[in-house]
Amino acid sequence: MGHLVADPATAVDEVAVEASSPESSLQGSLAALRPTLLAIARMQLRNETWAEDVVSETFVAALEGSRKFAGQSQLKTWVVGILKHKIIDQFRRTKREVSSDAQLEAAQVETFDELFAADGHRLNSPLDWGDPEESLSRTQFFEVLQMCVDKLPAGLARIFMMREWLDYETDEICKELGITSTNCFVMLFRARMRLRECLEMQWFGGAAQ
Amino acid sequence: MVWWRRAVNWIRIPCSHAHRLLSERMDRPIEGGERWRLWLHLRICEMCSRFERQIDLMRSAVRRLGQ
Repeated sequence: MGHLVADPATAVDEVAVEASSPESSLQGSLAALRPTLLAIARMQLRNETWAEDVVSETFVAALEGSRKFAGQSQLKTWVVGILKHKIIDQFRRTKREVSSDAQLEAAQVETFDELFAADGHRLNSPLDWGDPEESLSRTQFFEVLQMCVDKLPAGLARIFMMREWLDYETDEICKELGITSTNCFVMLFRARMRLRECLEMQWFGGAAQ
Repeated sequence: MVWWRRAVNWIRIPCSHAHRLLSERMDRPIEGGERWRLWLHLRICEMCSRFERQIDLMRSAVRRLGQ
């Protein structure tokens, strides 16, 4: 059993090596990403526990697969890719709740009377949003975007994020949520209309500038 | 109704319809008459053209989340 009694000098070296090992520095980088990942997860899951769970699962998967990563792409991009899969898994695990929210929303009728006259013509012009790159280059813009998505009803926020962020095709969304494709198009339209309105008020209308 | 008036009524779509088609075009291909009517509407309607640019910007913005 003599081999278990480590030479004190070697033991100290081992501790030092461990402290600066790739795993521990990865842990540090992951911890720094946590708030961003949580915010993104919340935007679509709309449930604090689920969001915490998927972020923890993402970290476990990232640490387990850290050898595969090996610095070949940007850490954040790689971890966000894992997060996407974990969010999809979460949707499947809680399919009943997720599709009942979607069906509830599918039954709503929204006519946007404040925007269109009875003959369908637009009553007030959308504002000129200027140079898109200017907004996309500002961190604050993304905070406003996140806030506006958070204001959507859960059913609309999820379907919108599934389409635009998780990159689902509409027929896949219909299948996952148990809604018709017509419902799907209408819900995406409503989500975009509301989000557009919110961004115009909160960002482009001057409130944040 | 004279033939040309009927044709004009077929060609012209209101903004509410154009808005819906612009959104749907992001989720499914728009074909035939609808595509043509939307194209024409966008040539003459600045409000709907703005809406089109706005929803495009929203799509690019959401895709950049987490990047």
